[in-house]
Amino acid sequence: MQFSFSSDQRDFAASLREMLTNEFTTKQLREIWDTGTGHDPALWARLSDMGVLSMMLPETDAGMGADFTDVILLLEELGRAAVPGPVFETMTVGALALHGTSFATGIADGSVAVTAALLGEANVPHAGMSDVVLLRDGDCVSAVERSALQLTSVCGLDGGRSLSTILRPTGLGTIVAIEWSEAIDAGALGAAAYLLGVSSRMLEIAGDYARERRQFGQPIGAFQAVKHLMADALLKVEFARPAIARAAWSMAVGDDDRSRDVSMAKVLVADAAVKAARSALQVHGAIGYTWECDLQLFMKKAWALIPAWGTTTFHRRRVSDAVLGVRV
Amino acid sequence: MDLTETEDEKSFRAEARQWLQANVPATPLPSFDTAEGFELHRQWEGLLFEAGWSAVSWPVEYGGRGADYLKWLIFEEEYWRSGAPGRVSQNGIFLLGPTIIEVGTEAQKARYLPAMASSREIWAQAWSEPDAGSDLASIRSKGRLSDDGTEWILDGQKTWASRAAWADWCFGIFRTDPESIRHRGLTFILIPLDTPGITVRPIAQLDGDAGFAEIFFDDVHVPVANTLGEPGKGWNVAMAAAGFERGVSLRSPARFNVAVDRLIELWKQVGDLDDDTMRDAVTDLWMQAEGYKLHTAMTVTKLLEGGHIGSESSLNKIFWSEMDVRAHELALQLLGPGAERTDGPYESWVDGFLFSLSGPIYAGTNEIQRNIIADRVLNLPRA
Repeated sequence: MQFSFSSDQRDFAASLREMLTNEFTTKQLREIWDTGTGHDPALWARLSDMGVLSMMLPETDAGMGADFTDVILLLEELGRAAVPGPVFETMTVGALALHGTSFATGIADGSVAVTAALLGEANVPHAGMSDVVLLRDGDCVSAVERSALQLTSVCGLDGGRSLSTILRPTGLGTIVAIEWSEAIDAGALGAAAYLLGVSSRMLEIAGDYARERRQFGQPIGAFQAVKHLMADALLKVEFARPAIARAAWSMAVGDDDRSRDVSMAKVLVADAAVKAARSALQVHGAIGYTWECDLQLFMKKAWALIPAWGTTTFHRRRVSDAVLGVRV
Repeated sequence: MDLTETEDEKSFRAEARQWLQANVPATPLPSFDTAEGFELHRQWEGLLFEAGWSAVSWPVEYGGRGADYLKWLIFEEEYWRSGAPGRVSQNGIFLLGPTIIEVGTEAQKARYLPAMASSREIWAQAWSEPDAGSDLASIRSKGRLSDDGTEWILDGQKTWASRAAWADWCFGIFRTDPESIRHRGLTFILIPLDTPGITVRPIAQLDGDAGFAEIFFDDVHVPVANTLGEPGKGWNVAMAAAGFERGVSLRSPARFNVAVDRLIELWKQVGDLDDDTMRDAVTDLWMQAEGYKLHTAMTVTKLLEGGHIGSESSLNKIFWSEMDVRAHELALQLLGPGAERTDGPYESWVDGFLFSLSGPIYAGTNEIQRNIIADRVLNLPRA
């Protein structure tokens, strides 16, 4: 047994972090928020150039043929930077659903973005800028081109995630080669890994503030009440991390318990994200409650993703059905 | 990443399981915090040692099995699933032993480790003092060199010394530089508990048994050869041990996985299966125990790949101790008023509940652990 990431996997994540740190600052993220599109075409092209978007496509579709263990650290980095647009959706469930179709090479070259609404969501994220929307069709998944859907833009919490209501004409779309439950697993794990990155970043921002901000003649981070608040949040984040890694392994090998493992990962990281957001806000005090403070960019991403791809109740029930037996 | 067991790991597991099935006592032993139970546990440890299972991760030459930490985790899983007795040798094999292996001289390794592995000598920990609990660096018990420089002469008082009521030896930290303050000038010393001048006074714990004791030192002479690590560097020696203890060895995940499996059985037997709140709570506990197992496996892989356990071991300690309390609270909630009886069918849950409450306190309270995490992992300013 070897429960660690390879040096290649870690190196790729490190280079992605370096690119995002240099080329995608919170100032740029705010500019995307201001456009109202929830999308950064230049960054999307950059991620495509780096080969990030096509990781999970087979080589026959100009992809890397990678599995979830190869992308999990990348997804975390994307979350750490709150990269806008349907990035984890396209990379994970998008690639797994659309490989071998006419859309696949477009995912690889950055010309096709994929989003999904597989749980009956009233507000579909990223639909306005995506080319394909994955929708539920019984136990199957249907790929529908955006142009075939009637979209109505609505307002959302997170400026990196445009929202629309959609009207779906019946009989449209193509059934793709992924079962609905497998698509849920893939998307939920993508969301979980991204959310881990968002959560870590919130604690980093809070830590920076706690070192700088002085009250009663000392940095507030020296106060035990602040230390313990942050330590408890870190505890949840760090215990979600191995659960996400294990779920990646289970998905990669098609383990019988993969749905349980993905759901466990999502429950733990959602819980960690709730705690990290609350703690980071509390450490900041009033400045954290402002539009000006960068923390909001990440809190809002967290609050959007905590219930996305299955609420905590949904995922906890999936775990309990697997562990305790199906509820009668 | 590869989470499947190798053939070698599988056969190791099979071998451990087979031996445990054949040898674990059919009826539980009395508590090792009683005189009778202590000796019965010592005999069990002897049996484990004879078969090479008492200290699986130690080198073979010192009585171990030379297994890596991943195999140690496998052994622990099999051990706790088999219902085998608690480890009366815990302080020695899992805390002091690895420290001696890391910083001890060859002579010390040869002298102490085999006797520790076989439980011919069982160890107590003597760190805390009446005025040095969470603030461990304020230790006042003194050691001074004899005039000829061959002996430490120890005076002072230690307390909350686990297993000291019946143990053979203790390992303690003493202030050997009278001018020193805080973490400096402390020395880690190994002491036979039958040395003249030592008085051990057992303390009854919450369950009434003498799980720890006070140890009084009055002009106690021990050879300087009993110094572990450099004189004056006792704090570093102690903290190396403490990091390992909290990080990996103090509470292996398996015992919590087994406890949660028992909790699930209890829920099926006595729970209201229509109560979704309880169903969710039991599920959360399962996820916690599973999460702890995964976290430990990741830490151990990191160690095997040449990494070190740092202050993140404090995260582990908080996690398992809070989880253990929560599991037992839930069990008692399921049992209702039936849990008031201490000698009935649910005795082990009541005992376990009381024991779980010590977890957030010993080996450094969870509040101290949160300070360590904040200071050294989150890099917040020191108070």
